[in-house]
Amino acid sequence: MNVQNSKFKVQGFRFGIALIFVLGLTIFLATLLGSENLSIFDLNEQQKTILFDIRLPRILLGASVGASLALAGASLQSLLRNPLAEPYLLGVSNGAALGTMLAFVFFAQFELARPVFAFAGASLATFVVYQMAKSRAGMNVERLVLSGVIVTTFLSSIIVLLTSLLDAAKLRSFTFWLLGDLSQSTINGFYLSFAAVIIGTIILIKNARALNLMMIGERDAFDFGVEVNKTRLAVFASSSLLVGTAVAASGSVGYVGLIVPHLVRLAIGSDNRLVIPFSALAGAIFVVLADTVARVAIAPRELPVGAITALIGAPMFIYLLRRN
Amino acid sequence: MQTVLPTREITDDLGHKVKLPDTIERAVSLAPNLTEIIFAVEAGDKLVGRTSYDNFPLEAQKIPTVGDTLNPNIENIIALKPQVVLVSTASQIETFTKQLESQNIAVFITNPNSLVGIYKTIYQIGEIFNKTEKAREVVDNLKQRVADVEARTDTAEDIKVFLQISKEPLFTIGKESFLNDLIYRAGGISVTENVATAYPKLSKETALALNPEAIILSDSEDNKEPNEVFKNSPAVKNNKIFKINADIISRPGPRIVDALEQIARDLHPESFQ
Amino acid sequence: MLDVQNISINYGVCAVVQNTSFSLEAGKIIALLGANGAGKTTLLKSLNGSLPIADGEILLNNKVLKSFSRREIAQKIAVIAQENETKFPVSVLEFVLSGRFAHGTAFGWETEKDLQIALDSLEKCDLQTYANRTMNHLSGGERQRVVLARALATEAEILLLDEPTANLDLAHQALMFRLIREKCETRNGAAIVITHDLNLAAEFADEILLLKNGKILAKGASEKVFTEENLHEIFGVKVLLDKNPASANVRVTTLY
Repeated sequence: MNVQNSKFKVQGFRFGIALIFVLGLTIFLATLLGSENLSIFDLNEQQKTILFDIRLPRILLGASVGASLALAGASLQSLLRNPLAEPYLLGVSNGAALGTMLAFVFFAQFELARPVFAFAGASLATFVVYQMAKSRAGMNVERLVLSGVIVTTFLSSIIVLLTSLLDAAKLRSFTFWLLGDLSQSTINGFYLSFAAVIIGTIILIKNARALNLMMIGERDAFDFGVEVNKTRLAVFASSSLLVGTAVAASGSVGYVGLIVPHLVRLAIGSDNRLVIPFSALAGAIFVVLADTVARVAIAPRELPVGAITALIGAPMFIYLLRRN
Repeated sequence: MQTVLPTREITDDLGHKVKLPDTIERAVSLAPNLTEIIFAVEAGDKLVGRTSYDNFPLEAQKIPTVGDTLNPNIENIIALKPQVVLVSTASQIETFTKQLESQNIAVFITNPNSLVGIYKTIYQIGEIFNKTEKAREVVDNLKQRVADVEARTDTAEDIKVFLQISKEPLFTIGKESFLNDLIYRAGGISVTENVATAYPKLSKETALALNPEAIILSDSEDNKEPNEVFKNSPAVKNNKIFKINADIISRPGPRIVDALEQIARDLHPESFQ
Repeated sequence: MLDVQNISINYGVCAVVQNTSFSLEAGKIIALLGANGAGKTTLLKSLNGSLPIADGEILLNNKVLKSFSRREIAQKIAVIAQENETKFPVSVLEFVLSGRFAHGTAFGWETEKDLQIALDSLEKCDLQTYANRTMNHLSGGERQRVVLARALATEAEILLLDEPTANLDLAHQALMFRLIREKCETRNGAAIVITHDLNLAAEFADEILLLKNGKILAKGASEKVFTEENLHEIFGVKVLLDKNPASANVRVTTLY
C-alpha cells in the first residue's frame, strides 16, 4: 500500500516520534527528582532500593495511569461527540472509586478484587450516564454533562456515606486516595495497569476509524458502514477497563482525559487513529510531570497528584465550556 | 432552668475571657481528651453531653452523644441546656461559638499541644468545675510519673523513633505534634521532628532513608505493621516494632503519661528491670 | 436494484409507513414527495436498514436487505441526510475520506486509491480548493456539497438523498442534480430523492412517489402523477399545471 497518502501522515509520524522521545526524557528526568537526592550513577544499596522499589514504580504507574485516563477521555469524547466528555466528569471515575471502596471494605484480603470491582463500577456508571443522556432527539452536550454531574454527585454521596461508616484512620487514607494519589504504587500495580493500557490501546485503535465517523454523527456512522453498537460497546468496555485499573491504583486523578486529548487535537487534528495513540503518550507525560510536582513541591511531605491535575484542568474546563 | 448570671472569668487557650457562673452543673465536652480530663478531676457527674469518640472512661459511654468532634450537632447541644461547652481547636469553632453564645452558653476552647499544655488544660478544667484541689492532685501525680520515667531514661542513649500513624498512605508526626516531646522524654528522638505540620503525609523515599531504630504504630485496623519501605530498617531487622493504643497516643489528656511509660519501657526495657 | 415489497414501519405504536411497495431500477431517479409528516424520511431511513421494518421485505439486488452486513450495505447504498454538526475540527478531506470507510479495513489507513477518489469527488462538487478547510467553518450550502462529495466517494450504486438542495443556491442545485443524473446514467446508479421542489422533481426524476399519511397516493411519471386533484389532496393547495417551455416537462405553479 502506497502510504504517501497526504502529508499529514508524515507529520503524524514525526509527532509520534517526538512524543515518545519526550516521554522517555520526562521519565528520565523524573527519576532524577525526589525528596531524597540520589546521584543515579553512584548508588549504595539503600539508594538503589529507593530508586528501583519506590521511585521508578511510581513514575511508571503514573505514566500508565495518565495513558489510561487520556485514552478513555479521547475515545469517550469521539463516541459521545462531546469534547467535554471525561471519565472524571462523567462519573465513571467515581463509579470505579466506589467499586474500589466496596472491594476494600468487603474483600480487603484479595488485592485483585479492587481493580475488578473498579471495572464493574466504571462500567455501571458509564451505562447509567449514557442511558440518562440519551434521548429520542439524540444526545446534546448539556444533557450529557448534566447526567455526568448527577451520577457523580450521587456516587459521591454514597462514597461519603460509606466513609462515615469507616473509622477515622481508614477515613484519612481514603480521603487522600480519593483525591488521586500515586504514593501506593507497586511494580505489580504498574504491570496490571500497563496490561490494561496495551489491551485498551489495541481495541481503541482498531475502532479509531469507526470513531472518526461516530464523531461526526451516530446515524451518519451507521449509514456509512459502522456497526455502531459494536463500536459503542468496545469503547465503553475498554474505557471502563482503563479507568477501573487506573482508579484502583491511584484514586481519581481528574481532568487528564479532558486536557490531554484537547491539546493533541490542537496539534494534529481530529483523526482518532492519531489522537488515540498520541493521547496515551501525552497523558503519560502529563501525569508523570504532575506527580513529580506532587512529590517534590513540599518535600519531604507530599501532595495528592489529583490536586495538581485539577489545578490545571478546572480552569481549562471552564475555558472549553465557554468556547463551546 | 433559669440562666445563672456569669460571675467569674477564666481565660481559654485562644485568649478569650470566658464568663462563667459560680458553679457548673451542666457541661458538654466536644473532645475525648477533655472528657477524660473532666472525669480525672472527678467532675464527670456534671457532664451531660459528649461526642461519639469519647469512649473512656467507661462511665463516659453512658452520657448522651452530640455528634462528633468535627461535626457536633448544635441542636442536640442546645437542647441539653449546658452552661459551658468545652471544645478543642479541632472543632469548627467560629460559627459554632457564635451560635452557642447567642444562646447564653459559654464556650471554652482548649489547645494543649505539649505535656505542659495538658497540665494547663487540667488546671483550667479543674477551675471551671471548682475542682482545683483534685486537678492539682492529678497533675502532681502525672508530674511524678513523668519524672520517674525521665530519671530512668536520662542516661540511656536516644533511640531514633518513627511514629507511624497510617501505613498506606504513610502518615507520621511532624514538628507541630506534642508527641515529639513525649518521645524525647521517653528516651527517644522522633526522626520526623523537623517535618512541617503536625501530621504530615511523608514521602516514602524519605521514610526509607530515615533508618529508624524503632517504629511505634498507632494501633488501628489498617496500621498493624510498618510500611514496606522499612523492611530493611534497623527497627524491623531488630524487631523493634511497638504498638500503642491509638486512643491513648492521639489524645492530649491524662492517659498520655500511660503512653509515655509504655514507650519508655518499649525503648529502654533495661531501665525498667 | 432495490425492491420494496409491501413494507410497514411503526414508530412506537403508530404506523408511520403502511403497505408501501415500489422498486428502484438502475439508471433511475425516484423523487419522494409529500407534505411534512407524510413519512418520507422514515421510509428513506428504512431503505438502508437504519430503521427496522415491521412488515414486508426490502430486497437489495434480489437479496433480503437484512442478510447484508453494515459494511456491505454501505458499499452499495450511500445516504445524504439532513446533516450533523460536529464539535471537533474535522477537515473537508477527512470528512470525504470517511465515506471510504466501508471499503477499507477498520484498522487501516486510506489507500492512494481512496484519496484519489475523494479528491475527484471534491472536484466534481466544485470543492477542489476546500480540502483543508474545517467543516465547522463552512456555510450550510458548502457543507451540503461536501456531504454530496462524501456520498459520491463511497462509489455506492444507490444514493438516498433527504432534501439535498435545501441550502443550495440555484447554480449548485442544478449542479447537484446533474451529478446525480450523471451517476445514474453513466455508472449504472440509481437514486431516491426527497424534495419539496415539485418542478425540480419534474425535471430530474424518472418516477414520482406521492406519499400521504404513510401510504403511496400515486406513483409514475410526473405528467401522470402531478394532477390538480393529487396535489390538492396532498398539499391542500390549488395549482396551475402547464409545460416547462424549455424541457416540455410538467410545470407546477401554486395559486395563492
